[in-house]
Amino acid sequence: MTVTTSARTQRATRRRRFSWTPYLFIGLAVLYLLLFAVVPLLKGLDLSFTNTRLLNPTAGKYIGFDNYDHLLGSGAFFKSVVTTLVYTAFTVVGSLALGTVSAFVINRFFPGRILARAVMVMPWAVPTVAVVLVFRWIYNDSTGVANAATAALGLGERGWLTDPSYGMLSVVLATVWKVTPFVMLVVLAALQSVPEDLYEATKIDGADSYSTFKLVVLPFLLPTLRVVALLMTIWSFRRFEIIWLLTGGGPVDVTTTIVIDVYRQAFNNSQLGLAAATGMLGLLLSLIVTAVYFVVEQRANKQNGVNA
Amino acid sequence: MIARRRLSTGVRALLALLLTCLAGFPLFWIINTAMTPTTDLFQGQQRLVPDISRTLDVFSVLTTDTPFLGWMANSAVVAFGTTLLSLVMATMAAYALSRYKFVGKGPMGFLFFATQMLPEALLVVPLYSLFAALGLLNQLSGLVLVNTAFAMPVALFILKSAIDNVPYELEESARVDGCSPLSILQVMVVPLVAPSMAAAAVITFFDGWNEYLFATTFIRDRSSWVGSTGLASFIGEFSTPLDTVFSAALVFTIPAIIFFLLMQRKIVSGLTAGSVKG
Repeated sequence: MTVTTSARTQRATRRRRFSWTPYLFIGLAVLYLLLFAVVPLLKGLDLSFTNTRLLNPTAGKYIGFDNYDHLLGSGAFFKSVVTTLVYTAFTVVGSLALGTVSAFVINRFFPGRILARAVMVMPWAVPTVAVVLVFRWIYNDSTGVANAATAALGLGERGWLTDPSYGMLSVVLATVWKVTPFVMLVVLAALQSVPEDLYEATKIDGADSYSTFKLVVLPFLLPTLRVVALLMTIWSFRRFEIIWLLTGGGPVDVTTTIVIDVYRQAFNNSQLGLAAATGMLGLLLSLIVTAVYFVVEQRANKQNGVNA
Repeated sequence: MIARRRLSTGVRALLALLLTCLAGFPLFWIINTAMTPTTDLFQGQQRLVPDISRTLDVFSVLTTDTPFLGWMANSAVVAFGTTLLSLVMATMAAYALSRYKFVGKGPMGFLFFATQMLPEALLVVPLYSLFAALGLLNQLSGLVLVNTAFAMPVALFILKSAIDNVPYELEESARVDGCSPLSILQVMVVPLVAPSMAAAAVITFFDGWNEYLFATTFIRDRSSWVGSTGLASFIGEFSTPLDTVFSAALVFTIPAIIFFLLMQRKIVSGLTAGSVKG
């Protein structure tokens, strides 16, 4: 065995032999995901073509594309798509903007920086249920501190979670609070990977801070920002708990995103088939966004290639 | 020039103060609400300074009047199981993805990434019927199994990027000496990526700790509830005093904050590296 090994490694560098080893290593994880993610997904796909009800799950019949026809012809579904897009857009833009500003602030020295950084990271760690609890209390109509603050500023009181015009804003604010630290930490890591001598070189060339930013920092930052934007978008599409526990999709459905719709159809209206179809269309939306991202990414890479 | 720098440091500190207040306020408000008597809370009499002297009273009420500690223990079981199962599978899979070329590597890598896209709300229905058939409803082990499906790929990204950074030469010579790949992984690679293992452990642990949707759908027995569902059950009910509810939120939150603060750098570098390289 050991005698042939060196000859084998020499040959292996030229042509790799088939080996079971990597499959043994990765097999368990792959099988696991097949069982607990892919099989349920396929089962969901199957359900989406039936009229299965929660109370009698075995009695569902295949009804072809009826669920999809129904959804694509209904205003309620399109409303939940629009709500998802609005929620996603505000959450992604809000957290990216706030997270990037936070990263720039934290990146350089100022007194109290370590403490500020620790506090700014914390919302990321707070369990969503606890986030919801405190935000519901802050937004409380009669005793909440949000209304106390707006009243003190002479702006009057709002029904943060009860007035349809404020429901989305309140949910977005709570979400942005929770997810911004992730953006901040990722952008911070990117900022700190900008080589110091690049700064020096541009300084010697007499660049002011704006052109330093444009020529040195931004090119380093853009790929990171694109990845974070993609992750934030995908996560916003599927985010359930914070919306469900804050508003349950209300008031008057203004925060009913696709996933909230899926859950309500399944467990409140007990229409498993329709819920599954809704979820499938939601997943399709995620896939489209991801595909667009990869196309944009490839174009950006090509452009960089031309420039370099 | 120096004056300008001083000015910008001042602006930076001011901006930092503002951002710190924004980030810190809801946390402070959890503490503050936990430390204010409920009667004051409902009269809109919440002070801006928490009454720390109430700490012990509040927590003794929490432990004697609510089953919250038991629910937290259930959370710990779920979280620990999720961590263990995720790390074993993720370490082995990460090693394969990092060190081997093999047919099907691309699709398998995509499978791990794709789980990031799957909405839990979509999978909860088919998983519910699967678990009902397997007798896993109302079982903490059922939650471990389903949480692992979502947590393990994240651990895998972190560990793969860590293993990518370990030089291959050491393993090469061990392999020439006839070590099996599994013992190379155990004896040489795992100790070198220990910090990333810790980061992955923290993130998977708190995935299991925080998870709510599956817990609320699958676990019906009140005694088998976990911290997240127990805490959520306080929402909109009035029999538990509000200061007790917020002390529960506080107790539930503190371990997560401590561990995330300790591990933040490792977690972030792993997550971004994993998502960039796929």
